Amino acid sequence: MLRKSFNNLPRLSQLCGLQGRLQSTQVAPVEPAPAEPEDIAAIEQRILKHPDYFQVHNLFTVRDLFNARVHYGHKEGSLDDRMRSYLYGSRLGHLIFDLDKTAAHLRDALNFAAHIAFRDGIILFFNRNALNAHLVEQKAMEAGEFSHTRFWRGGIFTNANVQFDAVTRLPDLCIFLNTQNNVLAQHTAVRDAAKMAIPTIGIVDTNCNPNLITYPVPGNDDTPAAIELYCNLFKEAIWRGKRKRRELLGLPPLEEAKPSKSAGRRFEKN
Amino acid sequence: MALRVFGLNIIKNNRNILQNVGKTNGVPTNQGAAAALYATQVTVEAAPAAVQKQKVSKAMKSYLKRANEHDEFMKTQHLEFQIGKRHLANMMGADAETFTQEDINEAISYLFPSGLYDKKARPTMRTPDEVFPARKAAEFDETGRPFHSMFYTAKPNFFQLLHDIVEETNKLNDLEERMLRRGNKPDENQKLETAGFQLLPKEHLERVLVEQIADIEYQNFSNSMERLIASPYAYKSKAFIERFLKPLIDQSKQLEVPKPKIDEQGRQYITTYECLRKTARADVTVRLPGTGKITINGQDISYFSVEQSKEQLLFPLHFCDMLGKVDVEANVEGGGTSGQAGAIRWGIAMSLRSFVDQEMIESMRLAGLLTRDYRRRERKKFGQEGARRKYTWKKR
Repeated sequence: MLRKSFNNLPRLSQLCGLQGRLQSTQVAPVEPAPAEPEDIAAIEQRILKHPDYFQVHNLFTVRDLFNARVHYGHKEGSLDDRMRSYLYGSRLGHLIFDLDKTAAHLRDALNFAAHIAFRDGIILFFNRNALNAHLVEQKAMEAGEFSHTRFWRGGIFTNANVQFDAVTRLPDLCIFLNTQNNVLAQHTAVRDAAKMAIPTIGIVDTNCNPNLITYPVPGNDDTPAAIELYCNLFKEAIWRGKRKRRELLGLPPLEEAKPSKSAGRRFEKN
Repeated sequence: MALRVFGLNIIKNNRNILQNVGKTNGVPTNQGAAAALYATQVTVEAAPAAVQKQKVSKAMKSYLKRANEHDEFMKTQHLEFQIGKRHLANMMGADAETFTQEDINEAISYLFPSGLYDKKARPTMRTPDEVFPARKAAEFDETGRPFHSMFYTAKPNFFQLLHDIVEETNKLNDLEERMLRRGNKPDENQKLETAGFQLLPKEHLERVLVEQIADIEYQNFSNSMERLIASPYAYKSKAFIERFLKPLIDQSKQLEVPKPKIDEQGRQYITTYECLRKTARADVTVRLPGTGKITINGQDISYFSVEQSKEQLLFPLHFCDMLGKVDVEANVEGGGTSGQAGAIRWGIAMSLRSFVDQEMIESMRLAGLLTRDYRRRERKKFGQEGARRKYTWKKR
């Protein structure tokens, strides 16, 4: 997977314009202002009827995905049959994702993440690729959420009260930035989250199994540029949900952590 | 009767609590920022469009229940301790109001004499605050949302540390790249000196982090620290690195070398008492300057008839090149020839430390001259000829 990312270094410079767009977009739902303050639970239910309440569709374009090299899959031989329907084709032995399908799935996933954040849910980011671990931890902190990029001790979900020595609230959403421990084995947390009925969003590459993932997003899960794009998108979606909630409750906005210089510095174009 | 004998069992039962206590103290500073991020402020700016029912999560409920139970328990324990103290004061005929913890200890050791070897196993009576230390504060807010971003790894402090090390390393790599582009070189004078230091050992690190870490995790920590230290600009992160370094202590530096005294003839001398070897006991005086005169119990070196013992005696003098430069007086009793010779040898070596330089002391230590020889005679076993030797036995 390293080779896959380094083969494409010349294209790095194309990854641009996304940052600016992320900042400029605003949540713009049409909201009939009620005279009497209503219960937030009612609002939570009502906004579900809106197809895209947090306007996540304007977070990215297919061009952004292409520039971040989301379309690169693995080699033909490693294809998992369940991923066949998301493919566009293959080029020189490498599988290529259909980015239109990816974009649709990613928008669903971002919408879901924003709704969970709006409902004050706990969101846990996963990643077992050492190359991207630091970046993911950093972005999770910036989003004010949680990360687990280390060896998964069995039973953190399924035996939580023993593992943490107390009754513990489990996350409400797991976001897997890659679903594999290595090329052979799936991350145990995918199975455990399914057991505990925790919804999951997962970036699934051509060699992964999307069956246990609630919101699979077909795409490249190795390249740092792609991971950074996913992280930024989820971070922004989460912040939109959180900001909207505080706005409705009349609370002052939270201070958002500034993006660190070192995390992902190699993939920004300046 | 409220007098309680707090033995090992109680300590054992509360091991978990003990472990938890420190965790609150060892939480890294950046958690404060994270806590602030999640803090629910109540200043209302405009008329809110929605209201939220205050929900308390199951996790918080169970924590509050545990905390309440603990408070109740501590209250009864305090009460019982006070009553026990009064009883004890009455028994000892003292005033209950001015009965201090020291008095309690004395009373307990008088009323409950114990020959148990381990001091922890002996009966004690201490305030409940000492016996049951404070418990861990909640690691999450009232909605059950944890404070630390890596809470679900179960070792948040340790993984936060690894994260910070990578952060520092990335910063230095960035700097190095910028400097290279400008054609600057790292400052040789400021180079980070780590020769006399070592990384915090595992147990120490665990105490700092207040988390148990596995061997492989410690390996990860030391690898990433080494990578950070190896950077040519490591001196820029000096403050961070030094938090995890510990000075190496020279063994022989720990032992204080006594200053020589002056006798009536104006010579320097030093006396070492209690030089022990096997069952022999000696005290040795070394005088400088001297002519190499050796006096043992009023006789000269021919006090020992065995050649090996004489050699033993002279070895430290020969090793330090002090033969013929100092006078040695020794009084020795008990033991046999080799034991007495060994005792005097150790005494001479210990005394000579005052007359040689630091380097020589270190090499004497490495040669084993300053080490007490604890070997004793091994007993004879029945069915055997000696300690190890068996009787001659022939099958046929």
